[in-house]
Amino acid sequence: MANSIKIRSQRRDGYVEVKLLISHPMENGRNRDANGELIPAHFIEHLLVKLNDQLILTANMAGSISKNPFFTFRLKTGNSGDRLSAEWTDNRQSKDSAEHVLD
Amino acid sequence: MPSTRRLFLKHSGILLAGALLAGKPASAVAERLAKYFAAEDFATLYAQFIDQRTVIDSDKLNLILPEIAEDGAVVPVSIASELDGIEKLYLFADKNPTPLLAEFELTSLIVPFVTARIKLAESCNVILLAEHNGELLRTSRWVNVMRGGCGTG
Repeated sequence: MANSIKIRSQRRDGYVEVKLLISHPMENGRNRDANGELIPAHFIEHLLVKLNDQLILTANMAGSISKNPFFTFRLKTGNSGDRLSAEWTDNRQSKDSAEHVLD
Repeated sequence: MPSTRRLFLKHSGILLAGALLAGKPASAVAERLAKYFAAEDFATLYAQFIDQRTVIDSDKLNLILPEIAEDGAVVPVSIASELDGIEKLYLFADKNPTPLLAEFELTSLIVPFVTARIKLAESCNVILLAEHNGELLRTSRWVNVMRGGCGTG
């Protein structure tokens, strides 16, 4: 699951907008495949976002978030060189994380 | 020496109690989340969720959703507020098999602004609750879903 997270940031007037795109099936366990078999639930449960190792945003979710989750949020302040990291854990205890340095 | 043994027992008891207390929050959170995200009936979940607290309808919460969603599998939602100090945001869809969509814990380092993409099983009310200075604020939007889908939500 390497590199499942893409992070982009853009400096705006008074804040820094951060976009987070994660590749994940987000299966809720109620969908069926082509053969009519139930596709087992497989979704992200927790997402942690840190700025310079300090937790700034936690998102808890389940299968009601769309496939390949996409989130946007805004930092009140962000200096050039600040490290922003995102880490997710899914219901199978798989994890992935990525780091992004602000411009 | 009996006194040392007694002291040891006493201290180990304190340590054990401390360890139990320290271990509690994490598992309690996991338990609470598992319960809420597994819930299948909105009315029951919502009642448990607000736990008889007063819910204030607020026009200071901005919940932006399309009036008509072509595809229920991918519905963009954006949440914004002029209020400072919102601690938590909870998003629900009252007709989804999993009514609790997401829970966001904000900190003072970010602006109260979040966008996401959600699944809606059918036309429904999307409800936003916000924890702000000990108050529970609420707003909601009706969304017409053209193609809900099997298994969405």
